[in-house]
Amino acid sequence: MSCARCASPLEVGDIRCAVCSLPAPAGSDAPARTTASILRCDECGAAVTYSAEHVGTRCPFCGAVAHLEQPADPIEAAEGFLPFRVSPAEAAAALRSWMDTLGFFRPSDLAAKATVDHIRPLFFAGWLFEADALVSWAADSDAGSGSSEWAPHSGQVPMRFDNVLVSASRGLSAQEVARLASGFQLTNIAPEPVGATEAMVERFDVQRSTARAIIANAVHGTAYARTESGQVPGRRVRNCHISVMVQALQSRRYGFPAYVLAYRYGDKAYRAVVHGQDAAIAFGDAPLSIRKILLVAFGVAALVLIIVAVLSNR
Amino acid sequence: MSADDSLACQDCGATLRFHGTRTTRCPYCASPSVLARPASPDLPNPDFVVAFGISEASALERAKNWTRSRGVFTHGGILRASIEDVRGVYLPAYLYTSIGSASYSAQIGEDYQEIETYAETVNGRTEMRTRTVTKTEWRSLTGEWQGYFRDVVVSASRGLPNAELEAVEPFDLRLLRRFSEAQVQGWITEEPSMQLGACVADARQEAMQGLGQTLDRLMPGDSHSDLQFTSHFEREQASLVLVPCWVLAVRYDKEKPPVRLVINGQTGKAWGKAPLSWLRIAIAVLLTAAVIAGLVVAARGRP
Ligand SMILES: [Zn+2]
Ligand SMILES: [Zn+2]
Repeated sequence: MSCARCASPLEVGDIRCAVCSLPAPAGSDAPARTTASILRCDECGAAVTYSAEHVGTRCPFCGAVAHLEQPADPIEAAEGFLPFRVSPAEAAAALRSWMDTLGFFRPSDLAAKATVDHIRPLFFAGWLFEADALVSWAADSDAGSGSSEWAPHSGQVPMRFDNVLVSASRGLSAQEVARLASGFQLTNIAPEPVGATEAMVERFDVQRSTARAIIANAVHGTAYARTESGQVPGRRVRNCHISVMVQALQSRRYGFPAYVLAYRYGDKAYRAVVHGQDAAIAFGDAPLSIRKILLVAFGVAALVLIIVAVLSNR
Repeated sequence: MSADDSLACQDCGATLRFHGTRTTRCPYCASPSVLARPASPDLPNPDFVVAFGISEASALERAKNWTRSRGVFTHGGILRASIEDVRGVYLPAYLYTSIGSASYSAQIGEDYQEIETYAETVNGRTEMRTRTVTKTEWRSLTGEWQGYFRDVVVSASRGLPNAELEAVEPFDLRLLRRFSEAQVQGWITEEPSMQLGACVADARQEAMQGLGQTLDRLMPGDSHSDLQFTSHFEREQASLVLVPCWVLAVRYDKEKPPVRLVINGQTGKAWGKAPLSWLRIAIAVLLTAAVIAGLVVAARGRP
């Protein structure tokens, strides 16, 4: 069942399209349930049943403004799992080769001396969305500028989004998910986790309305990045503003495979992440070699002294 | 009175249905001159309803806060006003959505700095100096815009015109439900008394205002002026929705008709047109004039 105006799928319980607000035809939604509305506090997270009789929109626990959650606002589970294509042993090897790429200022014996505490396979929670959009934009850039270094430009461009990954993970940071995003193959998606039996499955702990808001934000953010870098003429851009009309927005909830590794160097613990499907994507925290940094600093200082001495002797 | 009976107010024109409530006064104008009439079969059925979230006691509390927080030029009686006729009513409104397109043009101001040379006389000698001044280069920009208008709500009631409804908006439309008789049991509902066409025209007007603000935010540059646009709306859709309102009569003077206070039945936002005190305004004007006159006299009096 899709929206007649923007072709985005309607979910059970939707009485209006979440994208363009066109009402769903009567009778298409599930029979009106008598579930109570939930008032969720933005401050303390408390959820209370909403009643017209004795609560306004303030939280009874802390008095902060609370927001009403939709009655049909379920927390949904993953629809599928991408399989692991990297074994724990390969992940550990990937960690060592990543350590070798870290550069001069890291301890030389990092890869040799580091001991791996644990390698945890996990499926982190995320959405993949696809959509069509018409983006109306306006911005200043250096192209065609006159007395000022800026000139205004505008445009309207259709965009297609295919399988853009949006993080629903609390365990991995947004930056970590962004670095993992590129390496996933969307084949052999299974309804249950396969392969890594001991892998933890992260739960989607946001409700549908919140999920939609996060995805809407991601659509806007992706469209903005593409407009700024690919649509506005010129090399430098400022005041880029966009309006996005989304159509046929579809999103799916998946578990994405990754390893979180903890390793020790000296007496300190560090954390690293290895992609579950592409061992070339590995990153994390690593110690710096104080000895090498000091050495370079002294070397530079000595060099400066020598140059000063030579110049003043002239 | 059966549930299907309607009452028409002879004073303000509202047509009301009383679902299990017993009242013979119009909730909008408190007029007792309401007449029973059969329900009109050709009226559209509501599609959606937004439920009450503010109780009567809470509405009264908000009304008292409203009377206490009026400005100094308000009629003195407002502070001591009594609140009469608290009525909860489901107001008919149209929820309008469409796809809007616009072609716009504007003048975009791009600032730049210029170094200016100027002459200044210092100790009798003329020196040339420089300073940095900011100038603005104006460039014209034209463009196209397209997007959805999603949550435009306009009153379909003659009893409570759209301007008054706008003053207590927004409603949280995430809590919209499909209409059923059971949801309005025990409340008064008003039947739409405005034609769909007129309401859609109002909705387009509201959408245009929103579009103006959207385009204003879209404009680049350090500043802009002369923003103009033409717009048109496609794939329009309007659903009849019942929205909850508390309507209260604030009696501030026995001789005068009461002031109508409208409270958003979902959020508690209150709006009313407080009567002004002409006496207080006149005193303020006279005092200001006296102060100015005093200052002028004082200035003249100096050597
Ligand atoms: Zn839609
Ligand atoms: Zn009336």
